[in-house]
Amino acid sequence: MQFHAQQAARSLILLGFSVLIYMLHFTGKIYLFINPKYLLLSQAAAFLFLLLFFIQITRVWTIKGAHDHDSCSHEGECCSHDDHHEHFHDHGTTPFSVKKLVSYSIIVLPLLTGFMLPAKVLDSSIADKKGAMLSIAGSSKSGQSSQATSETKEGAESQGTGDASQPPEENDYQAGQGTDITEGTETATGYENQMTDEEYNKKMKGLETGSTIIFNDSIYSSYYESISSNIDKFQGRKVSLYGFVYKEEGFAEDQLVVSRFLVTHCVADASIIGFLSEFPDAAAIDKDTWIKIEGVIETGSYMDTPIPLVKVSKWEITEEPEVPYLYPVTIKRE
Amino acid sequence: MIRLIRSNLLDITGFAVILAFLMLLSLGMGFKSNLEIPSSILNLNTIFLSILIEAFPFVLIGVLIAGMIQIFVTEEHISRWIPKNKYMAIFMSCSVGALFPACECGIVPIIRRLVGKGVPIAAAIGFMLTGPLINPIVIASTYMAFGNDAKIAALRMGLGFGIAIIVALLVGMFFKGTQFKSSVSFVSHSHSKKQSFLEKFWAMLQHSIDEFFDMAKYLIIGAFLAALVQTYMPAKTLLEIGSGAASSLAVMMGLAYFLSLCSEADAFIGASFSSIFPSTSILGFLIFGPMIDLKNTLMMMSVFRFKFVMTVLVLVAGTVFTILMLFSSML
Repeated sequence: MQFHAQQAARSLILLGFSVLIYMLHFTGKIYLFINPKYLLLSQAAAFLFLLLFFIQITRVWTIKGAHDHDSCSHEGECCSHDDHHEHFHDHGTTPFSVKKLVSYSIIVLPLLTGFMLPAKVLDSSIADKKGAMLSIAGSSKSGQSSQATSETKEGAESQGTGDASQPPEENDYQAGQGTDITEGTETATGYENQMTDEEYNKKMKGLETGSTIIFNDSIYSSYYESISSNIDKFQGRKVSLYGFVYKEEGFAEDQLVVSRFLVTHCVADASIIGFLSEFPDAAAIDKDTWIKIEGVIETGSYMDTPIPLVKVSKWEITEEPEVPYLYPVTIKRE
Repeated sequence: MIRLIRSNLLDITGFAVILAFLMLLSLGMGFKSNLEIPSSILNLNTIFLSILIEAFPFVLIGVLIAGMIQIFVTEEHISRWIPKNKYMAIFMSCSVGALFPACECGIVPIIRRLVGKGVPIAAAIGFMLTGPLINPIVIASTYMAFGNDAKIAALRMGLGFGIAIIVALLVGMFFKGTQFKSSVSFVSHSHSKKQSFLEKFWAMLQHSIDEFFDMAKYLIIGAFLAALVQTYMPAKTLLEIGSGAASSLAVMMGLAYFLSLCSEADAFIGASFSSIFPSTSILGFLIFGPMIDLKNTLMMMSVFRFKFVMTVLVLVAGTVFTILMLFSSML
């Protein structure tokens, strides 16, 4: 019997990745990394790591004498390249060297930082690096011709429910600062931003008919897109929304952006959506504070691109929601 | 007798590994509280880990597919499937890549296997370029990101396919053989036929583990550098450099390279730049990024010769740039 330290290290690493991913899932921290739509995929990865760990375990001990082909031949498998000594890849059986130490350290790095450093919600410094105002101006321009295709065709059918859809949303919003946990309960993960065509149209209806446009997490990005691409149409409408405060050089004293991160896959691809807001108290509010505002939409501009501007009439500080990110809507087809 | 000890030892080892792991874990947990870490480091770490968490499923699927190719596909299969004509082979591999819903994280292990099994290097590169770029999810997300406008999505796929074919042809002109690193002598051989399916399957899984460890370090370095760029490099400085048509295209291609985003998600980022850059530059971002990026380059270096990887990088960048510049002047 022979013990192979490197094989043991490898199994430890595989187990580590599996445990790290499972841990993030169980503590709910995974929401700070990826879009819940991909939860299942990442659980599959954790499962695969665990599976590979169990396979790797069998290579830690081998029978003495079979030294060179240990990890292979006695299992009755392997690459039958016993005669070619230079393997295509490292089976973890070659002697330990500095080079190997470096590569193992690299692989262990995400495990260490993953377990030891707390996950962080992206803040306005990242928004700044990502060019927040540029993206905001960008979405005003890129979506010019987009306007949602659904309202027109569904218009007649949901006419009667147009008003009825308003109260529940209002309740929702008062109940939990719009954190939307209630909305997603029927989905597998609870946070997955999935809805049927019907639900989506009903929500988009709120944009057209409600006296105040209320931004819920589930529909936030769709509302934002509609308003950005057609500012004139929404001019003068009342809105109620919330997000974290972002400020940039060149803003007036009374300006700030109430912003959110929209995460498509993982936070590395987070893009900023936000409303430039104007009110006298703005100067006193620190960046990264979560605030809830009410106001009226007007047209502002950034680098000659018209962007929506909210003239704020009422604002208050609010808590950071449990799931701080927004996810694009996935329409579920039945 | 030996088998008996062996099976017991497995359990013991398993326990020992888990125990060692839990000890490390609790050590790490206790350590956490008494450390003050600047928030930019935490941002960096979060982005770094999120890229890895997102990439792992695709890498694992990639290495498993690579493992399957290794075990179940023989050289005879390959020589039967790939057309003898060089140009036909390239066209075919690009088309197969377009149909194959790959991600750039998982594609390097796959092409490594394919080349090892006798696929011409040019055809394999064609497959690598179209695999992540052209697939239904990418088409749908591009369509959505640009306000349900099919034009950008169509141009992305159409031009991307053309560029992939040109690059593959160029690679075919310059390079022969496998281009594997000298330390990596690929052992290609057919497996002894007497192996049972289960044994083959077991071997495949072990191959996958080794493959994962080969790739992981490059993936991790790539993810780390991409996170570094995101945390510390302001997008605005890029914009200040990229004012002209050519320089803005170069800037957007550079951005695509260093951000190393997944091809399914980059359309949304690309779209956010459409107010400041002409659509040619946006296309540069959308086409170049999925074909080759930092993460991908590093992973390729684990397999291929340095010179080859660099040449491919230059060829892809040069072709994307030239085609798009020509294209923009035609508009």
